[in-house]
Amino acid sequence: SSGINAEYGEIGNVCFIRLGENAGKTGVVEDLVDQKHLLIDGPDSGLARSVIRLNQIAITDLKVKIPRGCKTKVVRAALAKDDIPAKFLKSGLSKKSEAQQAKAALGDFARFKMRESKTAHNRKIRSTVRKLKKSS
Amino acid sequence: WYQRRVRGAELKEYELVGKPLSKTNETTPIYKMTIFAPDEVVAKSRFWYFLRQMKKVRKVNGEILRLSLRSNTSPTKIKNFGIWVRYDSRSGSHNMYREYRDVSRTGAVTQCYRDMAARHRARAHSIQIMKIESIKAGDTRRPLTKQMHDKKKEIPLPHRELKYTKKSMNVANRPSTKQ
Repeated sequence: SSGINAEYGEIGNVCFIRLGENAGKTGVVEDLVDQKHLLIDGPDSGLARSVIRLNQIAITDLKVKIPRGCKTKVVRAALAKDDIPAKFLKSGLSKKSEAQQAKAALGDFARFKMRESKTAHNRKIRSTVRKLKKSS
Repeated sequence: WYQRRVRGAELKEYELVGKPLSKTNETTPIYKMTIFAPDEVVAKSRFWYFLRQMKKVRKVNGEILRLSLRSNTSPTKIKNFGIWVRYDSRSGSHNMYREYRDVSRTGAVTQCYRDMAARHRARAHSIQIMKIESIKAGDTRRPLTKQMHDKKKEIPLPHRELKYTKKSMNVANRPSTKQ
């Protein structure tokens, strides 16, 4: 599964930040400011305790049990107890984000190689399909 | 040094202290004010604007003794702010009490200005922040603030239109809005 929870944002939910300067980090929802803002904290991913907008994040289906508005060290202990970082690495979100980062970090030569291999691959497929069409 | 003002940025809280100059060498009363403004220039201007309305002193006849920028206390703790506002509508002047949830006083006051502009078409020059107080959850009056005090509160995410996804406009199937 993609690891994204489509239903609710609530206290304890682990979030993945998609937009903004903290993009790519994960955090835990500590409190709700209003309908569109959350107080989020991600001690294991280098995210400082801060307010974030709902439309900047994707809410995952991982959840920790924390009291509302607790201190960062409580969040850190809860994340370690449920082993959230390891669980998140297995999720589709994490893998997709890693793949995107790897692609963005490709050099010009690597992109050239990718393009060439993709062209060769598609050419092979298309020629095979054409041969099958001709023979049928 | 003068920081370039950014439109739409959060206001800052300034504490200004000033007094009228005396022509004779007698001591004059000193007045202190809290002003929410984008920068020091506006802060000083508003200080004289309000002081002139309340006391017989003008910028020409007065001096500012201190202008200090107040920092936000506990910027990671969510607070409920009650803001008492006076504003001029098209047909008169009104008092209001408004509530906002934010982590800082400056954030709440900025929200208030945006909210007043949206709901009452009030421009910043016609709004006066009379008082702002951090209020205990039990003393809040507005249902919009009160609903966030529930520990088990969930924010439903029914229809998400997300900016980070660049979906094509020509697709065979209707796109999903579930995150």
